Amino acid sequence: MTPLQRLKPAFWNLPDDPGNHSGLNLKRKWKLIVLLTSILALSPLIIMTLVDFSLTRRTIETESNTRMLSSLQTLAGIMAASLAENPSTACAEVLWQDAFHQLNTGRHNDLFLIDAAGDLVTPSFHYGRDPGLNALDPRLLTQTDGILDLQTPDGTAVLAGYAKITDTPLTLVQLRPADWLKDLWLKPRLKLLWFLCVSIVLIVLSIMGMATYLVNRIHVTERRRIEALHHEEHANRLASIGRLASGVAHEINNPLDIINQKTGLIVDLLTLKKQTRPDPRVLPLAKDVLDAVKRCGTITRQLLDFARHMEPSTEPVDIEEVISQVLALVEMDARHRGIAIRVAPIPTVPGFECDRSSLLQIFLNLAENAITAMESKGVLTIDVSIQKTGYVTISVADTGKGISPEELPKIFEPFYTSRSDRWGAGLGLAITYGLIREMGGDITVKSTVGKGTRFVLTLPVKAVRQTASDGSLQLPKSEIPVKTANENNTQGAAHVTKQ
Amino acid sequence: MGLKILLVDDEQEFVETLSERLQMRDMDSHAVFDGKTALAQVQSHPPQVLIIDLKMPGMDGIQVLQQVKQTHPFIQVIVLTGHGSEQDRKTCMDLGAYAYFQKPVDIDQLHTAIRQSLEKTLTDPRDSMGFDRPVDKGFYQP
Repeated sequence: MTPLQRLKPAFWNLPDDPGNHSGLNLKRKWKLIVLLTSILALSPLIIMTLVDFSLTRRTIETESNTRMLSSLQTLAGIMAASLAENPSTACAEVLWQDAFHQLNTGRHNDLFLIDAAGDLVTPSFHYGRDPGLNALDPRLLTQTDGILDLQTPDGTAVLAGYAKITDTPLTLVQLRPADWLKDLWLKPRLKLLWFLCVSIVLIVLSIMGMATYLVNRIHVTERRRIEALHHEEHANRLASIGRLASGVAHEINNPLDIINQKTGLIVDLLTLKKQTRPDPRVLPLAKDVLDAVKRCGTITRQLLDFARHMEPSTEPVDIEEVISQVLALVEMDARHRGIAIRVAPIPTVPGFECDRSSLLQIFLNLAENAITAMESKGVLTIDVSIQKTGYVTISVADTGKGISPEELPKIFEPFYTSRSDRWGAGLGLAITYGLIREMGGDITVKSTVGKGTRFVLTLPVKAVRQTASDGSLQLPKSEIPVKTANENNTQGAAHVTKQ
Repeated sequence: MGLKILLVDDEQEFVETLSERLQMRDMDSHAVFDGKTALAQVQSHPPQVLIIDLKMPGMDGIQVLQQVKQTHPFIQVIVLTGHGSEQDRKTCMDLGAYAYFQKPVDIDQLHTAIRQSLEKTLTDPRDSMGFDRPVDKGFYQP
């Protein structure tokens, strides 16, 4: 199991068909929750960040443009004053040099003077000494002061600030690369952007975590509900089988006793009254009928017993009797499949008490399981022994197809079934496990693929059934209680630990 | 014919045969097929032992048992039914039935139970009508 698979919640791999037992498409639900919550949580954050972004950009641009323009205008004012006293190109150049130093210009902060025709009066980084008319934007020459976006001959986008020097044909121009401003506001913003990204990732992760938790809870609750439903259904089915059995038994008892009495009368007539002396075989024949009636009576009595013990109650139980009752129920099936049933001599367990119906059900489930595992031909062995004081150990072994080590830890899980047909709800062993746990017992299983499976259950001699407080059957949680220990490649063992 | 026994069961075939078999065993048995007739019979010719089925159309066995025990507490009642649950057995025994049998019943078992119930009656100082029994118990010996 890779770490990624381990991270996957249990509901993720459920089949997508609408017929799956949960009735909910949990994967889609999960996606929907994550999507909706993410949109709700993240959209205000992102929108606010974007608004803030553009607002800051605009503010900083306006601010720096105003500053550039005002400093240019100040410079132009100073120049105008100086040029008014000494209107010469040389003086302009000196002034330009002063300004150049003052503004700490360079390649990224070009400053030059142009005349009314647009010719450069001083050298420029971008335009050189004499760019000619075409190169400069004519707007520089028409308006007095302002800021313009320009494209220099070498192809860089620049921001041009210009201010006319009053009473002269000259205009002072300052060029700044357009992305200079971007550097000014974007870099600190980028840090914020990183922060935003990290928090978005964190928010999405926590939303996913929460959605997983919630959907998992839904999944678990749903499973519990279905388990309870199935358990109830199972119990109901058993109860209705019981009702049917007792009904049949009752109805059969009446005609059975008519046969009994009529045949008895024949016997009486022949023995008590000695009226006639018919064929000498009549009397033994009538006695055969009476024997058969007696056997039928035993069967109906067993059926009634079976129905009677549907309610949980702790009572002294004869294990041998329970086993023979169960075997009577599975005998036909076993015979059809050519399966031999071998019951080791059962020791008497003094004072063994438990809920008879539960024990019956446990044996029935295990026996049915064993018979199903052996499709045809095989031996079902039941062995009862006392290995430690106060506990009865019962083993049910088959010579069937066995359980692979991968499947072994899952067999007590509810809904786990190896049968693909609709018959197995996958609850037989889960219910068996639950009943054994309720009795304070313990079940272990060992299986070899191709050779067979052996279930060993240990029950306390006084197995008082303790039903869970909510009345539901204890079922194994799918994760923990089944420990596996692989003995070798083909043999595995699952052990259900006692808590 | 010594013992007076009244059989009540809606299965006529069954109850008549059983009655005949009991007669063969020297018992004065008589069969009726429903609870009402049974009660009338008890009033007119009280038997010593009453054998009843539980499930009958009209008046069921438990009602018959109740009424008989009210009016004739010393008639021994044996319940013989195909419909008995553990609950029914308890109810009948609590109401004062002497024995409870599940069909199909063995005639010898039933016969023994009838005899034993009579022994109980004989040790009782009063007869089936509740009157004091004459001192000579031998008169009642079957």
